[in-house]
Amino acid sequence: MAEGTPDVREARRMLAKGICIAGVGETEQGIISDRGSFELLAEVTRTTLDDAGLELKDIDGIVTAFSFVESTLMHSTTLADYMGMKPGYFASVAVGGATAPLMAVQAALAIDAGLAEVVLCVRGDNTRSGISSSGMIAMAREMSHGAYEAPFGLTTIGGYGLLAQRYMHEHNVPQEALAAVVATQSEHAALKWNAMLRNVVTIEDVLADRWIATPFHVMDCSLVTDGAAAFIVTTETRAKSMKKKPVYITGIGEGFSHQYISQAESVASVRDGLGRAGRRAMEVAGITPQDLDVAEIYDSFSFTPLIALEGFGICGVGEAGDWVMEGHAKLGGTLPMNTHGGLIRQAHLGAMHHIIEAVLQLRGEADDSGRTEFNGGNHQVPDARLAITNGSGGILAATSALVLSSEPPSAA
Amino acid sequence: MSEKPAYTKPLPDLRPEDATFWDALREHRFILPCDDAGKPFWYPRKYAPGTLGQTSWMDASGQGTVYTYSTHFIGPSKSYKGDPPHIVALIDLDEGPRMMTILVKDEDGFPSLDAGDVQIGMRVRIVFDDVTDEITMPKFTPAA
Repeated sequence: MAEGTPDVREARRMLAKGICIAGVGETEQGIISDRGSFELLAEVTRTTLDDAGLELKDIDGIVTAFSFVESTLMHSTTLADYMGMKPGYFASVAVGGATAPLMAVQAALAIDAGLAEVVLCVRGDNTRSGISSSGMIAMAREMSHGAYEAPFGLTTIGGYGLLAQRYMHEHNVPQEALAAVVATQSEHAALKWNAMLRNVVTIEDVLADRWIATPFHVMDCSLVTDGAAAFIVTTETRAKSMKKKPVYITGIGEGFSHQYISQAESVASVRDGLGRAGRRAMEVAGITPQDLDVAEIYDSFSFTPLIALEGFGICGVGEAGDWVMEGHAKLGGTLPMNTHGGLIRQAHLGAMHHIIEAVLQLRGEADDSGRTEFNGGNHQVPDARLAITNGSGGILAATSALVLSSEPPSAA
Repeated sequence: MSEKPAYTKPLPDLRPEDATFWDALREHRFILPCDDAGKPFWYPRKYAPGTLGQTSWMDASGQGTVYTYSTHFIGPSKSYKGDPPHIVALIDLDEGPRMMTILVKDEDGFPSLDAGDVQIGMRVRIVFDDVTDEITMPKFTPAA
């Protein structure tokens, strides 16, 4: 892979160190009213250390996100203090739904710079049970301009709705296409042990559901949940002495198109802005969309994966709805998507669970049949080796994507 | 014309750089900020986006076209409880910039336009809604 622009070659140089995810963990998700925000983070850290076969003292870097409940400008060090750590590297990342892949990138950069070797990336919150009404209003207002959007009664759901309705208008995409995303992911969530919504729904069920903001019904929207998830980023060399087979980060990419939805130039410019993240991640990894085995695509709303699939070049422009309706995104389809149920069926922790599900898929551990107490099922994509995953912050404003692989990157 | 209820909805954050815009609205004048090349842009800022050059103001027609909309059945705060659905829209102004607004039925900026009466590409014009003594909101209604 000698080709590529200097920046792409530089990304490959870093990842050729064998930057990998060596452990993952997730708590129960949904309504967990008996645990606080930091307690959930500590709980999932224990699970994640167990997965990797590590102890807390082995962690020398910590990357966290933010909390809607425990408000602090120093989230990573507050958690380090809570858990009794003295990490040599710490950072809190806050780019909304793009945060999780950016946490992985932050960890990779710290490792590449010699600041840390084993970095815990952890995010969680009791958002559903712990948030105050003023916190909820602040969250709702977060994505809209305080003078020129919020006073018109815009909600985050409606902000996505504005873009989705224009997309549907331009490409003649039916409401059924959005419902097909929900129906598909409901089949997957039915198998995932900790998904909040385990019932399978049909396109008709979604179409008959209550409206929130057009074109979204309740079921088209992501969940608000309590829970935590974590992953450990390290090098291939260090991972050798750990318990689990490493999953390599072989591609990284970012893309930005606007902050406020009224500033989005066009459907095409949004598609291109977020698409850059995935296209660049695949370029760094030296792969094409046809090489992918599984796609864990950010799904804040049923519409969200459609424009991402097109932006990443997995589907043609305006064709993602048909693609999903034809069953390509289902387990057993051409490219199974959101095999854990995603934000609209499993849980909302930004893109944390998308990364964790991708890792489990590439380790061959996405069969939850053994978790009989949770009525788990098999959502493993047979022989999955390559996955793409992404997260988007704001209203498709800022996107970060990763390509994950069961094999180390080929020589840069 | 129905009687107007007391205004409990969110009011705009006010910043020094926006004062000219809100002052004009209070006088029922609609103006747009222009960049250093004289091209109108949205949203108002002290320095021009992309160049950080000097800005100026121009009188605008208040005419435009619906680029997209979303009918909100649930509002962002308690003050929307019990209201009929409201339609948030992005308007392509005839002068070029695109701005957010809410679509309304009549001249007074109240009440909300019925959900069935909006479509993408529809022509609209500005109406001035004096929601408080200080704040006039720029809302839009179907062009006659």
